[in-house]
Amino acid sequence: MGFGRYVTARVLWAGVVSLVITTITFLLLSAAPNPDVQQATTQAALQGGDPAAAAERARELRGLDEPLYVRYFDFIQGVYTLDWGWSSSRSQPVLEAVVGALYYTAQYSIPWTILTVILGPLVGVYSAANMYSWRDHAATGFAFFGYAIPNFFFGIILLLIFGVWLEVIPVVYNTDVAVFSVENVVQLAIPVFVLVTGSIGALMRVSRNESAEFQNSDFMKTAKAKGVSPLRAYAYHVMRPTLVPVSTTLVGQLLALFLGSSLLVEVVFGIPGLGRLTFEALLSQDTNLVLGTTLFFTFVAVVGNLIEDLVFTVLDPRISYDDR
Amino acid sequence: MATESPEQFDQVDWNDLSRSGRFDLSINSIGMLVTALPLALLGVYDWRFVGDRTATFEFVGLDRTLETVDFLFIFTLLLAFWYLVLPLYQNPRRTRYYWKEFKRNRPAVVSLGWLGIVFVGGIVGPLVMNAPQQELLIAYQPPVFTSVVDTTPATCVGEVINGRCHGTWQHPLGTTNAGRDVFTMIVYGMTISMQIAFITTTIVATVGITFGTLSAYAGGWVDEIMMRFTDIILSFPTFLMFLLILYIYGAGLGMFIVVFSLFAWGGTARYVRSKSLSISEEEFIKSSRISGASTYQVIRGHVVPNVASSIITQLTLLIPGFLLYEAQLAFLGIGDSTVPSWGQLIAAGRSDLSFAPWIVLAPGIVLFLTILAFNFLGDALLDALNPEAEAENA
Amino acid sequence: MPSDQLLEVEDLTTTFGTDDGTLTAVDGVDFDVDTGETVCIVGESGSGKTVATESITRIIKTPPGEIEGTVRYKGRDLLAMPESELRDIRGNEIAHIFQNPQEAMNHCYTVGWQITEALQIHQDVSDEEARAKAVDLMDRVGIANASARFDDYPHEFSGGQKQRVMIAMALVGDPDLLIADEPTTALDVTVQAQILRLLDELQEEFDMGVLFVTHDLGVVAEIADRIVVMYAGKVMERGGVLDIFDHPAHPYTQQLLECLPEFGGTTVGGIPGTLPDPHDPPDGCRFAPRCEYAEGACRAGEQPEEIEVSPGQRVSCVHYRPGMDPSVVRNDNFEPVGGDGAADGEGGVSRADD
Repeated sequence: MGFGRYVTARVLWAGVVSLVITTITFLLLSAAPNPDVQQATTQAALQGGDPAAAAERARELRGLDEPLYVRYFDFIQGVYTLDWGWSSSRSQPVLEAVVGALYYTAQYSIPWTILTVILGPLVGVYSAANMYSWRDHAATGFAFFGYAIPNFFFGIILLLIFGVWLEVIPVVYNTDVAVFSVENVVQLAIPVFVLVTGSIGALMRVSRNESAEFQNSDFMKTAKAKGVSPLRAYAYHVMRPTLVPVSTTLVGQLLALFLGSSLLVEVVFGIPGLGRLTFEALLSQDTNLVLGTTLFFTFVAVVGNLIEDLVFTVLDPRISYDDR
Repeated sequence: MATESPEQFDQVDWNDLSRSGRFDLSINSIGMLVTALPLALLGVYDWRFVGDRTATFEFVGLDRTLETVDFLFIFTLLLAFWYLVLPLYQNPRRTRYYWKEFKRNRPAVVSLGWLGIVFVGGIVGPLVMNAPQQELLIAYQPPVFTSVVDTTPATCVGEVINGRCHGTWQHPLGTTNAGRDVFTMIVYGMTISMQIAFITTTIVATVGITFGTLSAYAGGWVDEIMMRFTDIILSFPTFLMFLLILYIYGAGLGMFIVVFSLFAWGGTARYVRSKSLSISEEEFIKSSRISGASTYQVIRGHVVPNVASSIITQLTLLIPGFLLYEAQLAFLGIGDSTVPSWGQLIAAGRSDLSFAPWIVLAPGIVLFLTILAFNFLGDALLDALNPEAEAENA
Repeated sequence: MPSDQLLEVEDLTTTFGTDDGTLTAVDGVDFDVDTGETVCIVGESGSGKTVATESITRIIKTPPGEIEGTVRYKGRDLLAMPESELRDIRGNEIAHIFQNPQEAMNHCYTVGWQITEALQIHQDVSDEEARAKAVDLMDRVGIANASARFDDYPHEFSGGQKQRVMIAMALVGDPDLLIADEPTTALDVTVQAQILRLLDELQEEFDMGVLFVTHDLGVVAEIADRIVVMYAGKVMERGGVLDIFDHPAHPYTQQLLECLPEFGGTTVGGIPGTLPDPHDPPDGCRFAPRCEYAEGACRAGEQPEEIEVSPGQRVSCVHYRPGMDPSVVRNDNFEPVGGDGAADGEGGVSRADD
């Protein structure tokens, strides 16, 4: 069966991509002076020791004296066996830190993704169905606004308005509240809103423009001639084909935000998620943790692209698996 | 297609160029060479003979220095002038037609106006305005027409009425916590934004077009490998990789521009490749091949003009992403702190947000408007340059 | 007995509001279709024939379209009916087939899904029943291995097969009236003939009235019982297929026939001139600007009243008015088709005759 083979090939390709990116990461790291070694050297110099010997010791300690290919294989093995090392700044294994942070990231990412997936195409198709009406113009305006306003800036402003001036949301994120509680909903409402506005705009534009094409198509006329009600016609005959191009924009858009802006949003709202973890790892020069979070986001990107391709193929029956 | 619809804007005059052969240079190329040469010489001089701490124009007594980014920026400006602005002037009829099409989109015209202001401000501003100086005495001045409680600013430059300090035209957008004029800083930020926009665009276009056409014309397994490579580039988490580079090596604005544009050309290359493949099937390409045109001439004369419109649109829509990333890095405090970008200003004002919101609001709104303008412009270009897409965009 | 007509269209007028003013696509058209007969609406593209048929069940978009007049189907006025009631008729009692099967099917659903959709909407059937009926119909319209192909997508079918699927889709609700809008235009010539034969067989089998729209008089000769010739939104002439082919009365009809080489026509390259501007149609007969016999009376007032020239054949042309001389129009140069029967056309005409 073509589909099975296509999926296999695509998954293998995702593996190759992740390997390439991991390799690049390794090369980047190995080409640069290790901050830990530098630290050891500086310390030795300050304490009157022999900097060269200290550097040597530090390198030996971290296995840096091994030949490059040995270190490379060790590194790759570590990455794929989830042995991501020890985070010195958090005094816990990197993987544990990542999983712990993921817990908070998921709390806003899941509602954000669900809302985007549902609202984006719906509003877009609705906009197309009422093209050039004031509702369409309002939706288009909102789409451009959400697309153009920098998420972190929007977050700051909303935090200022609702947190500082109106005092309806807490300014400091509280990790103690239960996941499924009103407090949690209240404190996550604004971050989720900010991210949804960011990701929904492009989606609305794409679904509006694509469905505009479909709603004037011949097959819509066929459907009408069959006696299909307008609601059913939009739900089945417009929405379904619109989802094909939308699926590619959707994953791309969510990923772009997840890999970029969510970090900012977490910093702005003080959510101790993956973004904050990355950021703090950078500030505290925790190489293992920086590497771990970067790799995690990289894998999310690779898997996201994989899902995008698979969803696209599943959604569009016209794709032949042999061509791709 | 090029031969059938000579009214197309994006044909510029590359056709004439390719017809006259490779070494028979047009006025545009001569102009480019003549202006780029002194720049290159100056660059070499700056690199080899001028000390790191000496200003570039020390030899004429000017206290101005040019960084690598500045050299690149001027170079891209020259490119844009000789190959974008001048051709528009050389073909007034086409320009008028194009303007007529474009003018129908009101938001896009406003956007173009705004970007024009940012552009001119970015070029001229730093030449006529002194860099914002730290003056703690006049910190936290409110913008003109507004007022704050007079305990907020150290000393109020404007009038104090009923215990409130009013803003003045001296500092139309107020001052920061260090007493720097926000308006001046925004104008200086325009330069940074324009540098990012122009340099990234040039790099992305160059790499994307080269890669795409090479891939299409090489064909076979070379094409396959090149396109797989493009796939990787496209799925690369650039922002995070940049964080990693930043962490390992540290990075300034130049590095930012290079890294981001080197990972942004994937879409352009893919598009150029598919377009080149379909164009090379066209009859007129076959005929120009038969009449002895080289591959270079075919690409230059037919492929590039035919993909230009889509590329211009793509690039216009890429720029806001770069501006946003720069602002985000600056906001996180890990951007290039030596450049006065809008993001730096937003980051600087964040802690004073509750009592001096203008420090964040002014650059934030300017950034928002600029990103919005690029989006509107890209949308309008899409309509104006691809008439067939007009029906679906409105 | 007027009520025994399946479909009666009276004074149908369809206009579109556009930026350049009101466009009148169909202007006061009458025609009817009886059970078991095939009526062909003939005209060049742009003559309003498609809009006329799509106005019957109001499947054109309103706005910008606006439909006036009466369309009585089994005595009920479709144009006065609420949309929801009309929906029960569409696809169930009146079915449509469109010109381009390529575009007329949704590429995201299997053909089986699309065929059974009308059934699911209109009739209370189980999935199995619907499937059985659809497979049966697919088999009937000539799709080999129907039960396996039920789950295939439209792109896996050829053009001719797609049109067969479209026919199955139309017939699934056992309609009493089938409106076929140029169903063979987008197909190869050999496939065209097959589809026409299929439609002819199915009409008998299902005892439907068929309203067939085409610009192709060759097709008309093959299937029509009666013909309505439209030009620029108006009816020029109507009558039985033999009458029209034998002794076309309207200059437009004559010229249309002259464009057909297989019917002894001699004009190559079509009728000179273009259709009038639908925003601002000319006074008098719509065809007058392109008519070689036009005189003053043709260019004033409204489109001429239809005049009966032979039983069932009526023409809208001033030259047939009492006191005028019809022989001006009926010139002797024109060789009537049916008389000695041009070789290719014969089979078709006689078929329509029986």
